[in-house]
Amino acid sequence: MRHLRYVSLMAALTCLAGAAEVAKLPYVYTKWKHITTADGLPNDHIFAVKSDGPRVWIGTENGLAMLDKRTGKIKSWGEKDGLPWRVVTAIDVDKKTGDVWLGLFGGGLARFSGGRFDHWHQLNSGLVNDVVYGVAVQDDNIWAATTAGASRFNTVTGEWTIFTEKNAPMEEIWNYNVAVGKGKVYIAVWGSGMLEYDIASNRWKDYLDPDGEMEIDLYRDDGIVHVIVTAASPADDVVWVSSYFGACRYDGRHWRGYYNQDSGLADDFINNTKGRSADEAWFATDKGASAITDFKTNTWVTYTRDATGKGGKAVVMRDRDVLETVEMPVGIPHNFIINYDIDGNDVFVATAKGLGWGVGEGYYPGLKQRPKMVAKAKGAAVTKGGAE
Amino acid sequence: MPPELKALIDDDTAEVLRRINGLSPYQVPDLRLKQDSNYAHTPSDYEPFGAIKPYKEHFLKQMEYTGAGRAIPEPGPELKTVKIGFIGPIMSTVSVATGGKSHEETLGIQMLEGAKLAIEEWNARGGYFRRHIPFELDTRNDNGLWGASGNEIINMAYKNDDWAIIGTIDGANSHIAIRVALKAEIVMLNSGDTDPTFIETNIPWVMRCIGDDRQMGYLLMDYVLRKMNYKRVGIIRASNRYGRFGVRELNDSGRRMQHPTIIEMAYKVGSEDFSLQLERMKASNLDAVIHWGDAAESARILNQMRKMGMKQPFFASDRSVSREFTNVAGANAEGVICGFPWNPQRKDAKLAAFNAAFRKRFNSDAGTYAAHAYDGMNMLIWAIQVAGLNRAKIRDVLAYRTKPWPGVTGDIPLSAALDDLGDVYLAKYEGGAWRYYSREDLKIPRGYIPARDRVNRATGAIDPMKPEDRN
Repeated sequence: MRHLRYVSLMAALTCLAGAAEVAKLPYVYTKWKHITTADGLPNDHIFAVKSDGPRVWIGTENGLAMLDKRTGKIKSWGEKDGLPWRVVTAIDVDKKTGDVWLGLFGGGLARFSGGRFDHWHQLNSGLVNDVVYGVAVQDDNIWAATTAGASRFNTVTGEWTIFTEKNAPMEEIWNYNVAVGKGKVYIAVWGSGMLEYDIASNRWKDYLDPDGEMEIDLYRDDGIVHVIVTAASPADDVVWVSSYFGACRYDGRHWRGYYNQDSGLADDFINNTKGRSADEAWFATDKGASAITDFKTNTWVTYTRDATGKGGKAVVMRDRDVLETVEMPVGIPHNFIINYDIDGNDVFVATAKGLGWGVGEGYYPGLKQRPKMVAKAKGAAVTKGGAE
Repeated sequence: MPPELKALIDDDTAEVLRRINGLSPYQVPDLRLKQDSNYAHTPSDYEPFGAIKPYKEHFLKQMEYTGAGRAIPEPGPELKTVKIGFIGPIMSTVSVATGGKSHEETLGIQMLEGAKLAIEEWNARGGYFRRHIPFELDTRNDNGLWGASGNEIINMAYKNDDWAIIGTIDGANSHIAIRVALKAEIVMLNSGDTDPTFIETNIPWVMRCIGDDRQMGYLLMDYVLRKMNYKRVGIIRASNRYGRFGVRELNDSGRRMQHPTIIEMAYKVGSEDFSLQLERMKASNLDAVIHWGDAAESARILNQMRKMGMKQPFFASDRSVSREFTNVAGANAEGVICGFPWNPQRKDAKLAAFNAAFRKRFNSDAGTYAAHAYDGMNMLIWAIQVAGLNRAKIRDVLAYRTKPWPGVTGDIPLSAALDDLGDVYLAKYEGGAWRYYSREDLKIPRGYIPARDRVNRATGAIDPMKPEDRN
């Protein structure tokens, strides 16, 4: 049904455009819903988003929220409800137990389970620092990326392990993010590149910028683009990496760097990344949501919101060539992107002013022969029953 | 608008205000971003991988803030004071980050006094002009333990509702602080951390009002290599972040000039005996010795060098320009040369007034850290006065300033990376006193500073004698 609706949309667009050119193009999200304080969020500055079946957990600058996708209703928790600290910067869900783990910005680590918050911090646990940027569930372990190292908490044994420059190759200990891949844990470190922890062997491997210089990237594809890394997101057998100095992809043997000058990246300042596959990853830039949708052809889609009104654009690019520009009556909520989560065909975009829900009706990976959307996608992106 | 406020706003600032006021959360001001043609006035022969055109060169274009902060409304009339955060090492502690027992309190207290004096002067003039309420310093100790500076920035940004923050000195803690400031969206102005990498982070909320170790290192190495023609240079440094990062530009510059550092020795902060390091340095037949660390160790190293018969000229970082150094070094201090971020002997009415006010208030002479904190706090208060109580706009008026800040430490021109690119100096101890020399005073040659960024030059390696290379 969803696919049929998408085909209808394409046909409508083709009619609007006249004899539109057909080309191999990526899927473009044209239906965006905005979730903001007007809908019940405690705050519009969204730091974290995590999809969890019918629920979407939302970490804001002033509380935790949960969106029920089925009803569109939002429930929220603040300090008065037991949330240990109001600024929620990271969320992960333990699929085995259903527990929701929260990284709190200056408040440590919290577990939301059975309607109750449990709290771990510097003074009552092995959490190395209360400023938590990232959290990830790995089997029975909870990893927390903090501003002074990483901590690992085994929920079965209660054992804490701290990783700093003493026992991990952290030239600097300023951890920024943590993610779990196949048999590996990846930590993004400000000043120490990306660290890979092999779960079976307990061994670390570091990935640093080979030129070792802050002010240049000597060669684009010689390694990680910069040591100030904001996130590493494994997908399939590759790792996507974001930094404030561009992005890159590592397949275990080859690195490929991306900059605004040679790709569809809206900007080189990237707060986060979420890999969807070896071919697709979303990058949270300060000037829009940029997704590489086909690695082999370097095809990108960047979503932005217009400065006035709710409209926005999706620009499809190959290298720096614009293939298609789709204007939408409702774009992403804001151009300053902070975080993502992928939920089946849908994508959730955490921004500086609300959460965006990209409804992926008829989503397809990679490229597909389809007409170019050269006209405004009016009507096509009007949502029914959504927040907007 | 009160007349005292109007007097603070020049035409350029008025234009910035016109463009940042009244924006919706989705709008970004239409303001020209600073664009530098060269990073940090780096001469071509000091550039990394100088023979190769890099794929990408950073820090040449000013970072934008594109978030929603400019639309946040100002607080209501219940606000009683305008708080500005201060974080610096003002209490003794033991810290992993700073390499053991703390050692920067003398610098941190100076910094606090400079900041205090600025606040008190503005309060005497009427405080925050728009509401006639005082400024308040939210003072926090940077103890460096377990990244405590991060927690303190959280307190300042989220619990105490500070409008901007000044600090700190230690490089590691400064980095921790700015990462928090980026997420919390609050200006972090640094007046005491000379670590070059502090600003090399692409954070639009971070700025610095003191010349860094890159600038001072370039001048020092120009003097050592280009003027004095020393070829065998040895380095001794503190085994902490200050030492490690401070000597990076020295090592890089020497290597790129075909005179790599002969030996680099590190010592634990607080050491008394440096014989292990100095014996090896003595055996290295050096032309000159450079020290990067605190004043006390610097003096002890110098004394031990002389006692061992090492007669090499002794160079050091700015922290040695202190009474502590000369008291311990005694006669050995004669002839020592240090990089220095400003000229405290400059003839300037502002500086004279500051020195007099500082002496009157604290009954002591203002040092480097006091003077720069005074300048930094004045910059922040000026920004708050003209921009109003909105963190993003406070950032904007500083980031988009078109003219250098006229500080007591000299003009402070901010680069595209919002770093202080003002003149730095060499301090020489002569006849029982420190004297300060500019590059011009000592006729120190400098390398060719290209007028074009590296990516867009005709060639990788530049021969300054070839006109085609200079384009």
